Amino acid sequence: MSLTRPDAAVPAPAVPPTGPPLPVPAATRPARRRRRLPTLGPRLLLVPALVAIAVGLGYPLVRQLVLSFQEYGLAQQFGRPAEWVGLQNYRTLLSDPYVWTVIGRSVAFCAVNAAVTMVLGGALALLLHRVARPARLVLQISLLLAWGTPVLATTTVWQWLFDSRYGVVNWVLAEGLGLEGMRGHSWLIEPLSFYLVATVIVVWMSVPFVTFSLYAALLQVPTETLEAAQLDGAGAVQRLRRVVLPMIRPVLQIVTLLQVIWDLRVFTQVHVLQRAGAPTRDTNLLGTYIWSLGGEFSMAGAMATIMLVLTLALTAVYLRSVLREEEL
Amino acid sequence: MTPRRGVLAGRLWGAVAVVVGLLWAFPIYWMVSSAFLPTNALRRPDPTFFPVDGTLSNVRRVLADPTFLASFRVSLAVTALTLVAALLFAFLAALAISRYRFRGRRSFVLTVLVVQMIPAEALFISQYRTLDEWGLVNQVTGLALVYVAAILPFTIWMLRGFVAGVPVELEEAAMVDGLSRTGAFFRITFPLLAPGLVASGVYGFLQAWNEYTLGLVVMTDPARRTLPLWLQGLVEANRATDWRLVMAGSAVIALPVIGFFLLVQHRLTSGLVAGAVKG
Amino acid sequence: MTMLRTPGRRVLAGAGVLALLALTACSGDAAAEGGDGSTGRSTGGSDAAEITLWLNGTDTPQALRDYLTDTFAAENPGSTLVIEEQDWSGLVPRLQTALTSAEQTPDVVEIGNTQAPTFTYAGAFTDLTDLYEEVGGDKLLPGFVEAGSVDGSVYALPYYSGARAVFYRKDHFAAAGVEVPTTLAELGDAAVALQAANPAGVESYSGLWLPGQDWYNGIAWVFTHGGDLAVQDGDTWVGALSEPEAQEGLAEVQRIFAEGTKAPKDADSAEPWVPFNNGEAAMFSAPTWARWSIDLPECNKGVAPDDESEEATALLAEQQACNEEKTGVFPLPGLEPGTPATVFAGGSNIAIPAMSQHQELAKSLLRIMFGEEYQTMLAENGLIPANSDYASAMGDDPYATAAVDAALGAKLTPAAEKWADVEGDRILEDFFQQLASGADPATAAAQADDLITAALG
Repeated sequence: MSLTRPDAAVPAPAVPPTGPPLPVPAATRPARRRRRLPTLGPRLLLVPALVAIAVGLGYPLVRQLVLSFQEYGLAQQFGRPAEWVGLQNYRTLLSDPYVWTVIGRSVAFCAVNAAVTMVLGGALALLLHRVARPARLVLQISLLLAWGTPVLATTTVWQWLFDSRYGVVNWVLAEGLGLEGMRGHSWLIEPLSFYLVATVIVVWMSVPFVTFSLYAALLQVPTETLEAAQLDGAGAVQRLRRVVLPMIRPVLQIVTLLQVIWDLRVFTQVHVLQRAGAPTRDTNLLGTYIWSLGGEFSMAGAMATIMLVLTLALTAVYLRSVLREEEL
Repeated sequence: MTPRRGVLAGRLWGAVAVVVGLLWAFPIYWMVSSAFLPTNALRRPDPTFFPVDGTLSNVRRVLADPTFLASFRVSLAVTALTLVAALLFAFLAALAISRYRFRGRRSFVLTVLVVQMIPAEALFISQYRTLDEWGLVNQVTGLALVYVAAILPFTIWMLRGFVAGVPVELEEAAMVDGLSRTGAFFRITFPLLAPGLVASGVYGFLQAWNEYTLGLVVMTDPARRTLPLWLQGLVEANRATDWRLVMAGSAVIALPVIGFFLLVQHRLTSGLVAGAVKG
Repeated sequence: MTMLRTPGRRVLAGAGVLALLALTACSGDAAAEGGDGSTGRSTGGSDAAEITLWLNGTDTPQALRDYLTDTFAAENPGSTLVIEEQDWSGLVPRLQTALTSAEQTPDVVEIGNTQAPTFTYAGAFTDLTDLYEEVGGDKLLPGFVEAGSVDGSVYALPYYSGARAVFYRKDHFAAAGVEVPTTLAELGDAAVALQAANPAGVESYSGLWLPGQDWYNGIAWVFTHGGDLAVQDGDTWVGALSEPEAQEGLAEVQRIFAEGTKAPKDADSAEPWVPFNNGEAAMFSAPTWARWSIDLPECNKGVAPDDESEEATALLAEQQACNEEKTGVFPLPGLEPGTPATVFAGGSNIAIPAMSQHQELAKSLLRIMFGEEYQTMLAENGLIPANSDYASAMGDDPYATAAVDAALGAKLTPAAEKWADVEGDRILEDFFQQLASGADPATAAAQADDLITAALG
């Protein structure tokens, strides 16, 4: 139980004779040499994080799971005994074709948004890496403003910008570009155009996080390595694929994972746009659908579990690869 | 020829970065500009792009509001506590999982990954119960606790990536030079984590600074509202929302974010080269 | 349900009171009298304590709050009242959590009338049936009492009601040669005629500003024609938009959507005074306090928002007078001339959380709130008081008259346990939007009825 063994995997440059070399991604190799320590040490390091997660998140999550097998609504909050209903909540949800429609929409929305966000965010991170300090600061501060300004204000402004009557978007299209048909255009009434607007806002808000994280990761790529690759005749794309991507992989993975998780349960932007005037039933995604379950906490809990399964399915490939690495 | 082309390309990319930046900031510009406009010019068939004869009075009203200062203090306390605790806890955990092998490590990694996948939609009900049992409702520490739990998984993972990215050889080289293991770690590896700490720090700062729902249920005492709650209060301060005031308030809330970033951004530098040379 | 719930709660509450009395006895009087205010809620006995009242938004003016704290302190020596202002937008999650905590619960809460049934059915509030007669009995606004009642017991009393009225541009009416309508049908005609005349000569002009999702206003046509949103059929609620009365009203609404408004289909009822101020609408319907948001460019004096000088105050008064001179107001008319329409009533209820440790003090506060003095003060501030006897104190300026007339016939959303789900699903927003987009009222109503029935079942 308390065995701490040195890692068998080894850094690529110096191969020590302590075991068979294993197919490890380059980026994680340097860290693979583990320390021999009294077993308590590293575990003690985990204690603060574990306690905080267990108290603030873990215990409530377990409760949420338990709720999902009960009939638990507002009345139960006020003392009416909660009845065990087994899988009833799950059956109700999964037998409702509307729920499946919403799941389908959400997966599609998530795929598009996560992809656009990652590509754009990555591109901007590379751009930040490429440019001199003044330009970098301008872009960084702009992104930070988009990320850090209270959502209440930014969603309101976006709503104004796409307002069919007084919106700047329609004004620019009609007055600036002469597209008369766009005067007074209702952006929110058709689901597809609604999702387009939602995507613009979601991407606008999520790209900064991706860019900041990836830019920080890029800073870890040693300039020497890049220069060496360049001397070896590697083009820009090759350098990116062969040198940069492997090195920023851990950060890239976690950011992608989070993006998938967040875009699958996106709530605020969709909710605000629905309130602004979109047809609700035709535009619901998982986040707003759960919200509409309101005081039926057990149903919301069951829906949360379903979303967990969905997320696990969507990220299975990544999880497998992480687990394979961690096994070493 | 080649260097000049390099300079030219650099300028070109710089221009692209600035243009993208300005485009990205347009909605923010719109927000700030509306704080300076008269109410009846906010939404007109012909939009006002430049508030030429604008007034600063809305910003003054925000700053003169005593409840703003009170909320500012609460938000600052919650954010500082969250940030320090989250970064410290995450750093220790990241160190453990990327530098040491021990049984249970894999389960921990898996927990950290999966815990952030579980949707938290009905969670505030249970989180409130937990805090209430511990007498932490309406307490800065209570709110900070749920925030720390919420941002820890990502922060651990992020820092793990950064610790993993620093070659152990660097530390070992330093140890050959006579430093202790801890010394080597803090002298060599820690500075190289700066970009990771900054990125996770900005993330944590923003989460704690702007979070609304948990703040709403935990801080019910009007004297202990966080800034997002205060802002929502502004929306409802008049029966018809005074949007200029709300936009001015939002701009004022966003300023410390920029301040925090400017304070830490010089750490966002390519640390490895310097570290390797010194090591 | 009530049967199951109530006895258990009583036992618990009784035990709680005993325990608290014991605690107070041990800790002595000093603690109970303390009331330094900084430590939050005192857990002292019911003799003397600090109690908390949650009021939402800014509808209750400061003078009324001061009156409550002063009177409460005077009538309950040693006890104090703390009023905490809550935001409407975050109220439900707060109530879902704080009301379950003996430590944190406020002792008296204001709650929106459409939220009241959900919390009442859930058992969040103390039974106030004993108090009902004493604070006004059948003088209290009946729809609000119904919203706070379960099985003949009253849990949440009415607090106030706000009324809607129609605002109109006098000059646009004159230029288009349109008279103030006296029936609901005439109102539709007026909207169509004004829009066709376009007296302002602007590009996109509405006779009546009626955005696609504005069911708060649109539902008045259904109510006035005798229809309803949902009706109780034995133990179950069923959607009633397909009923012939409702359909009559909806046909009129659809005509206005088609010919009497250019408001976007993808907009809700928020800020209808914006197009009005821009000169792009001849009429809009809104709560009567919207008078303070009318800001016509020709009247605007350009006073800075933080200018509190005497000169600025005078200018603002002049500006308001100018706005109100150009703007007329009338209650939405009914089917016959001289009768008001049945409009949707917005307002709130007031209740004592079951978890409150200061039930008697809370009741004492309610008695103050339902007293003649406070009810009159509510009316004087433009709110329709819970006790209709005091509505006359609203005065007789056209806004007050319109408000009282509208309030007399106003109607609430069905007092169904799960009505909040219908609002959560935004079924009515979607339904009116379909009408605005030209859907067949019968088909759309049938669909909406199914959704409403499912949500309420």
